[in-house]
Amino acid sequence: MSTAIPCSPQHPPPPIPEEGVVNEPPRRWGSVWNMTRSEIDLLLFSTALKLLLFPSYRSTDFEVHRNWLAITHALPVSKWYYDTTSEWTLDYPPFFAYFEKVLSIPAAYVDPAIVDLQNLGYGSWTVVAYQRCTVILTELLLGVVLLRFTKGAADPARQRLISGSLFFHPGFLIVDHIHFQYNGFLFAILLWSILMARAGRNLYSGVLFAVLLNFKHIYMYLAPAYFIYLLRSYCMSKSGQILGGRFVALASSVILVFTTSLGPFIWMGQLPQLFSRLFPFTRGLNHAYWAPNVWALVTAADRVLLRLVTRFNLGITINEQGIASASRGLVGDTVFTVIPHVKPFHTFLITACIQMMYMIKLWRTPSYESFLNALALCGFTSFLFGWHVHEKAILLVLVPLSLLAADNYAYFKTWMIAGTAGIFSLLPLLFTSAEAPIKIIYSLAWGTITICPLYKQVYEFPPSWPLALLDQLEYAYVIGFMPLQVFFVVIPMIAGKNPDIQFLPLMATSVYCAIGMVWAFTRLSILYFSNAFEASPK
Amino acid sequence: MHKQGMKAWVVPLAIATSAWVKWSIGLGDYSGHATPPMFGDYEAQRHWMELAIHLAPQQWYTYDLQYWGLDYPPLTAYISWLCGKVGSLIDPSWFAFEESRGIETYNSKLFMRSTVVALDMLVYVPALYAFTRIWHKSRSLRTQHASLLILLFQPALLLVDFGHFQYNSVMLGLTLLALNSFAVGRDLLGAVCFVLSLAFKQMALYYAPVIGSYLLGKCIFLGPVQGTRLFIRLAVVTLSSFTLLFAPFLPPIAPLSTFFAAISRIFPFARGLFEDKVANFWCFTNVTLVKWKQLFLGKESRLIKLSAALTVAGFLPAVFGLLWGSFKTRLRTHPQVVSREGEARAISLAAPARTPSPTLPLLLYALLTTSMSFFLFSFQVHEKTILLPLLPLTLLLSGATVGDEVYSLGILGNVVGVFSMWPLLKRDGLGVQYIATLLLWCRLVGYNPFCLRLDSFVGLLSTAVNAAMILLHPLELIVTPPNRYPDLFPVLNVLVSTPVFGFIWLWSIKRGIEVGWALGGLPGSGTDRGFKDHDDGNPTEELLNLPTAGPVKSMRREHGARAVSLGHASGLTLASTSGYRDPRRRAVDRLRGSSAGIDE
Repeated sequence: MSTAIPCSPQHPPPPIPEEGVVNEPPRRWGSVWNMTRSEIDLLLFSTALKLLLFPSYRSTDFEVHRNWLAITHALPVSKWYYDTTSEWTLDYPPFFAYFEKVLSIPAAYVDPAIVDLQNLGYGSWTVVAYQRCTVILTELLLGVVLLRFTKGAADPARQRLISGSLFFHPGFLIVDHIHFQYNGFLFAILLWSILMARAGRNLYSGVLFAVLLNFKHIYMYLAPAYFIYLLRSYCMSKSGQILGGRFVALASSVILVFTTSLGPFIWMGQLPQLFSRLFPFTRGLNHAYWAPNVWALVTAADRVLLRLVTRFNLGITINEQGIASASRGLVGDTVFTVIPHVKPFHTFLITACIQMMYMIKLWRTPSYESFLNALALCGFTSFLFGWHVHEKAILLVLVPLSLLAADNYAYFKTWMIAGTAGIFSLLPLLFTSAEAPIKIIYSLAWGTITICPLYKQVYEFPPSWPLALLDQLEYAYVIGFMPLQVFFVVIPMIAGKNPDIQFLPLMATSVYCAIGMVWAFTRLSILYFSNAFEASPK
Repeated sequence: MHKQGMKAWVVPLAIATSAWVKWSIGLGDYSGHATPPMFGDYEAQRHWMELAIHLAPQQWYTYDLQYWGLDYPPLTAYISWLCGKVGSLIDPSWFAFEESRGIETYNSKLFMRSTVVALDMLVYVPALYAFTRIWHKSRSLRTQHASLLILLFQPALLLVDFGHFQYNSVMLGLTLLALNSFAVGRDLLGAVCFVLSLAFKQMALYYAPVIGSYLLGKCIFLGPVQGTRLFIRLAVVTLSSFTLLFAPFLPPIAPLSTFFAAISRIFPFARGLFEDKVANFWCFTNVTLVKWKQLFLGKESRLIKLSAALTVAGFLPAVFGLLWGSFKTRLRTHPQVVSREGEARAISLAAPARTPSPTLPLLLYALLTTSMSFFLFSFQVHEKTILLPLLPLTLLLSGATVGDEVYSLGILGNVVGVFSMWPLLKRDGLGVQYIATLLLWCRLVGYNPFCLRLDSFVGLLSTAVNAAMILLHPLELIVTPPNRYPDLFPVLNVLVSTPVFGFIWLWSIKRGIEVGWALGGLPGSGTDRGFKDHDDGNPTEELLNLPTAGPVKSMRREHGARAVSLGHASGLTLASTSGYRDPRRRAVDRLRGSSAGIDE
């Protein structure tokens, strides 16, 4: 906030220190944590914003986590995965349960009612403040890891932008600080693991990923890339010989992690019960609101086909169950009317086949860059083709993809399209009107602050006119989200209670986002296959 | 931002972020949430909307006064009517007559919150933006943006308007628009804006002595002919806009008694000297020295007179400074100027139309003096009233240089201002918002309350006050006040806050005298005295960019060259105070043209 002093022409103006300059002197406070002043500024700024969100809407996930605090505090370990006092049973792996156990200890001091197992739906000020605080505090790990990313990066200025964009990611704000989850903390572990891979410390990377898997098993989406990468770059020499010592070291440490996590439950013979909690295969293809993936497109196509078939009387057999499903809009299980039915096994097969292609590429070029690509693509494939994917899973794609965004213009645009579509698809997660301005203004501001500077740094003119046209189309797609949002707001006002149109905005959002996601996925795949990575396993 | 080549985005993003913060504060509780039967300020405002749309204006000030009868001037009522109409279009049950008392549904709350944000966006934010553009015109874009940020995120106003629930930003915004109009020399427009501000909330009267004397001073400055003309115009415009605003309560439409009913509602002298624990002179001395209420038992009218006398004594220096400054710098035929006929004509032609009075740099200090004096000494002050002195203080702060006195006191005043409202905010359940906005703003202005500053008196004062504030909060959390003193912590709060406010009041008088003396006391005489280069980027620079810029500008250039010789003298007087910019450098800047400011 300093006032620049005007200078006479003889004297050149003194260089004005700007925020974000790398060689800024670290401050007294910051020097302990090795942070520059602007980094502390950003941290405090984000903390202030998050504090303001304390009284905002919270989903049932808030009660889920409160209930887990109560379960882990009140019950012995042996009953954790059996308790059914609340409908929100514990369905995360043991490390997360241990994590909740740790959090429950101070909670009991703050307010014993928080950890009372029978106190269902407890929503007093203390529990809100406590749980929201734990999210903010555990998310600090994300900040630390992202800072580390900046330190040794090839281009620190760009990495700083990326790190900042991740720390302020609207996905985290929406899902963690409003909806309520601990993704910031979990993604910090993932990023830490990726950071270790960048530093060439693959053993640590593997161990951290194993730890992460035992926190939340959804990260299995990314497991194939990890498996191949570690096997190829850590356990094998460049020429392809297996390094036995390393293999044993990796295997034993991963097994050690799993034993720490699952050991007590194996010993108590509760493994089947635990797995039945972790993998409930009784859910439908789509989540209540369709995540923007291939199945959303297929379901939408099915709905359109149904209209066509009934209008033109084409004589195709229609699944009666499907009509009921269609008329119920988006709630409940999806049953197709015209298109043949899809089973979990099919989605699994498709996902595996597609992932296999990337794995082969990764096997051939096991470099860090290639690994990042494969990681993003692995997450992407699972998200697009998986069974009962939740829209929150998009973060699994966006976070690794962000790390690639500053590489070149092509990656930047992939990231931009996937990011916009992904964040937009998260907006309906908060359906309450009080949070509408919050999520929209925040996302727009974040988009402006991250996309504009990155764009300026990486822009390249498209080499040929069809590509230039494509470039324009892609920007048109991103701009298209604005009318879509208007549509989203206006339609419910017109429609009222009409069930036919009521779900139209959600469907439109889902389909429009899915188009962007599929396109970004295609782009990334092409980029990956056309990129000749230097095979440099360390 | 500036480095990334995103200058154009700074203002929209700053405004968007401030809107975000305002809305997020609104997620929290408000005054009187779920406390029947009377609720709080939120219900008062909502109830007025209900009254306004269901009753004829003549009944507004008389209907069921026991339940939040209207006690704000008519413009509030008109805006309430508008909000009520719009709200009833969406859902009539929110403002159903008498049925809707105490309604606190999710959607009605949302609507009420959105009216505050919308009115703020319509009045206050544009006024702030205009302020940075007009008053800091000669400063770099970077400084303008920084000052906009400081003003947008001023924590006290955010917490009271968007947390506690009131519409102060409209009143302050209208006053600010008046100040902006004065700064570009549009006095009549400014007078109308100020009348609107008064008609929105009578609290704007705290500014009235200074606004009035500024305008009167302008008339004096212009000399007998032009001055009288302006005076008559101002009087006509002010009176007619008041009449227009009060028209529904005046004779042709309603009997005169409705007007008096409204007036007695707007100025209630029937209440006590002070209500809760307010960090003003009365409450402070009541705790420490004299039990005023016992001393003047049965003689309340005397107490009122005493408080009025003290208040007037408190703002007299400001009023006097403005008038005296105008008198010293008044336009008159002076031999030196006559010899430069062209210039003199240019000035006398340009001045009345579009130039501010030379006392403009005094205006903010004077506003601070008068509003602080009202806050400290007047009758029936509420702790939220601190917002009025905080506006000129923050405006001054927005142009200050890091580390000088204005900067330190501006921040201290703001922080203590928020702190003094802590008992109120705590009652409203806005603790987290209190921490968050303070954190945000302190970081924004680059202020660390944990830092020791022992180099100056202001530094020592702020260190001591910060220590006291930082200690009091955890103490309040840990220690339960003894039964004998249930108000222990509010009282301690008053004891910490009042000295700071008192000091700021005295300081504003001192600064007023300094600036006023600089106006009339510098070498060089005649018309352009008031336009000499001053300090802290004052807006007398306006002259530079007048519509009639041609002749004036040439005068300015010459004047700038003369400033080289004046540099030494003015440097001595001003360098010791604050925000001083070397006139020699500025003169060179002038020669380089106005683009210099942008290059900074």
